[in-house]
Amino acid sequence: MTERRQGSRRRGQGELEALVLSALGEADGPATAGWVQERLGGDLAYTTVITILTRLLAKGAVTRERSGRSFAWTPASDQAGLAAHRMRRVLDAESDRGAVLASFVTGLGPDDERLLRDLLGRAGHTGRTHSEGED
Amino acid sequence: MGVFAFLPLVLPLTAWPIARLAEQHLHPRTATRLLTAVAAVMAACSTLCLALVMVVGTAQLPGNPLPDGWSDPEVRAAVPYDEVVGKAAIPALCAVLAACARTLWRHTRVRRRAHRALAGLPATGVAVLPDETPYAYALPGGRRDRVVVTTGLLERLRPAERRALFAHERAHLTAGHHRFLLTVQLAARANPFLRPLRTAVAYTAERWADEEAARHVGSRRTVALAIGKAALVSRGIPAPTLAGFAAPGPVPRRVAALLGPEPAVRRWPSLFTAVGLAAWCAAAGTAVSAMSSANAAVTMVLILHAATPL
Repeated sequence: MTERRQGSRRRGQGELEALVLSALGEADGPATAGWVQERLGGDLAYTTVITILTRLLAKGAVTRERSGRSFAWTPASDQAGLAAHRMRRVLDAESDRGAVLASFVTGLGPDDERLLRDLLGRAGHTGRTHSEGED
Repeated sequence: MGVFAFLPLVLPLTAWPIARLAEQHLHPRTATRLLTAVAAVMAACSTLCLALVMVVGTAQLPGNPLPDGWSDPEVRAAVPYDEVVGKAAIPALCAVLAACARTLWRHTRVRRRAHRALAGLPATGVAVLPDETPYAYALPGGRRDRVVVTTGLLERLRPAERRALFAHERAHLTAGHHRFLLTVQLAARANPFLRPLRTAVAYTAERWADEEAARHVGSRRTVALAIGKAALVSRGIPAPTLAGFAAPGPVPRRVAALLGPEPAVRRWPSLFTAVGLAAWCAAAGTAVSAMSSANAAVTMVLILHAATPL
């Protein structure tokens, strides 16, 4: 059991969040943390599930309402929305990310925008005189 | 020999003209490979020489763990022996190693975090994220290579331009551009004089992917439009360029290059044109400087090896 829990820790936070969110998505309505834990086959400790749900709540990926003595949780955004949120956090944290990830475009300098609009205007003009896709 | 041993530390300066020329006149693929190789060789030689200057200069200082034989009179006669320079080389070498380690660590950390952020999505080659911020990039990861793009960018492009975008990012992944970029990044850390090569390779790698995309979608104009539109809508993203820098940035140059004729896939321009002559001179200069760097490094290694009591 301990070994399995270590295994799940090694899977990383993103994956655990995804697991919990997908389990929650399979519920018919609002589900409790206990239900999520059961759904995941007891792989995670109850407190871990609560921690992950709280983290998802902070990201706006789930909502919760009080039902009796505990909370009932509902997914607010899907996996893709959660992934987008996490990716933004990664990119915002890396000031020099251009050095690692080759972005499609880099930022524009002060004069670049005017220059670029000129070029695109010329390209648009060429496009009208010649047929599309021709060089 | 004297000052000869220090040459590899400053010889990377001779690579600047070839970086400019290759960027403008060679096919982007050739330019990327050539400049990366030059940067790697020069960085290795420069670091090796720094280490050897340190060894020779400090091997006989009391309490030094290095073998005394490494600083024998014969060695000192052949290579410059200078305690001050030797001592100064210690922090320099430490700084180089630390900077390189930090770059490597950050590289793996960003990649790992980005992959983790995508956990839970179907394992497809393209990850489309519902995000209003327009951005797209290639996320390398061996079999987990992925193109990451937001809906914010996709909905501003026409279908043909989207194909151009995907072709561009896939070209990055197929050709393993992140390895070139990491190499020049490390080289620039090892010797600051190699920084212009890093900038040049970052640009030529983008141009390489642009040309591949143009070949794939069959229209250079479509790729140019896709890049231009993407750049104009991502304006809000802070630019890593220097404010007030007069020269046009990489994006307008890429668009202009795509609107111009396709670059020739020849290896080298003819010697009998002005451009060809300049390119050949610059290449010869770089080759000579790289070889003298290597020569100095190898000589010093051999001397030290011979002086080491085994």
